[in-house]
Amino acid sequence: MTDIRVDSVSKRYGKHVVLDDINFRIKSGEVVAIIGPSGSGKSTLLRCINYLEPPNSGIIAVGDLQMDCEARPANTDLDRLRRTVGMVFQSFNLFPHLTVLRNVSLAQERVLKRPRKEADERSMELLRRVGLADKSEQYPSRCSGGQQQRIAIARALALDPKAMLFDEPTSALDPELGLEVLTVMRELAETGMTMIVVTHEMRFAENVSDRVIVMADGRIIEHGESAAIMRSPQTARTQQFLHAVRDR
Amino acid sequence: MIDTLSFWREWLPLLLEGLKVSVEVAFASIPIGIFLGLVFALGIQSKSKPLQALTVFVVELGRGTPVLILLQFAYFGLPSAGLALSSYAAAVAALAASTGAYTSEIIRAGLEAVPYGQKEAAIAIGLSRRDQLRDIILPQGLRIAVPPLLGFSILVFQGTSLGFAIALPELISRAYFVGSNTFHYMPIFVLAGLLFAAICVPATLLVSRLEKRLSRYTAS
Repeated sequence: MTDIRVDSVSKRYGKHVVLDDINFRIKSGEVVAIIGPSGSGKSTLLRCINYLEPPNSGIIAVGDLQMDCEARPANTDLDRLRRTVGMVFQSFNLFPHLTVLRNVSLAQERVLKRPRKEADERSMELLRRVGLADKSEQYPSRCSGGQQQRIAIARALALDPKAMLFDEPTSALDPELGLEVLTVMRELAETGMTMIVVTHEMRFAENVSDRVIVMADGRIIEHGESAAIMRSPQTARTQQFLHAVRDR
Repeated sequence: MIDTLSFWREWLPLLLEGLKVSVEVAFASIPIGIFLGLVFALGIQSKSKPLQALTVFVVELGRGTPVLILLQFAYFGLPSAGLALSSYAAAVAALAASTGAYTSEIIRAGLEAVPYGQKEAAIAIGLSRRDQLRDIILPQGLRIAVPPLLGFSILVFQGTSLGFAIALPELISRAYFVGSNTFHYMPIFVLAGLLFAAICVPATLLVSRLEKRLSRYTAS
């Protein structure tokens, strides 16, 4: 079972507090959306979970791996963490000098030490799953944004992670291309993947995710079942934010 | 005019021998120099402060010293330290050292031009620091650095003419020899210049074409 536990996690840049005492738990197979205004610390929180940004204090636990944020992380723990948790970025960050297939295969060969042929077979399987098997020999620059993001999802899935983090995966895409990415994510959720999604897609937050976490100013201001929060938010700040998003 | 042509025809074989030496020295010192440049560039980005400081010192020394002095140091200076080099080896050593110092900055700039998201993506898929560098940063960074590196290589080729100062029998030494024997300095140096240009001009054109082709697969 790969539950995720975030215990009193804080992150500061100098004196500026970006995350202030964040606590939550996610059960294996749950899909959680993190919403909130820009600068509220959503992305930083996500990046703290896989230690792209090491937090200053608190505990991050993924499955039976526990990271004490005040200690210097051991390399073996970091390796395990990144193998267990896949990450998808807002700007895709595919490797432009590698073909689509190599993008997906690289980590399997380097990290899992899979032979190239086996890695490529697995990559093709993942590319089929995101509907892009026919692009395997292309370079990323030849793919649309939506396709690139789906390839990025396949790349993150290549290490067979137990959980996936999505950092505003559709924000750089026009609505139509965003939709194809959301469809892939919805399918992934249906397979029982544990997912944390920072997003401005309120429909996705309401319909696909089980729970919603609302952040503002580095804190969690509201946290609960999706339908409840999206329909009847309790705090004034959440109400204001949801109005702003919906009135657009 | 006819006189000049027949004069050129008479001495062209000698100059071509010189050109051959220039090309050989350039082809030996450029790869060594660029390899040194890569080592220096990685040294400057090293996490170890002493290594970083040492590399910065070496690079600044190499960039701050005129190549002519490096050449004379390698040829006339090193023997007093017990290392006597032929003019050929001294020229290669000095040009490689200078190339290393200059290209380290070109390579460093190339590596730094790789968007940070590339490194983050590499970290996120669990690549070790070594693999991040080998598979993601170096291939993209060096690709960015290739056109300026080739441009610099053309300058190194021209720099072989400084070998004249340490009796390296390269193109300019030969031209000077011919000039001092025939007193026709002007036409022989024009011919030497034409020979340099015959290599440098096409090389420059090739580099700019390559630059256009390489720009295709870089990250946005």
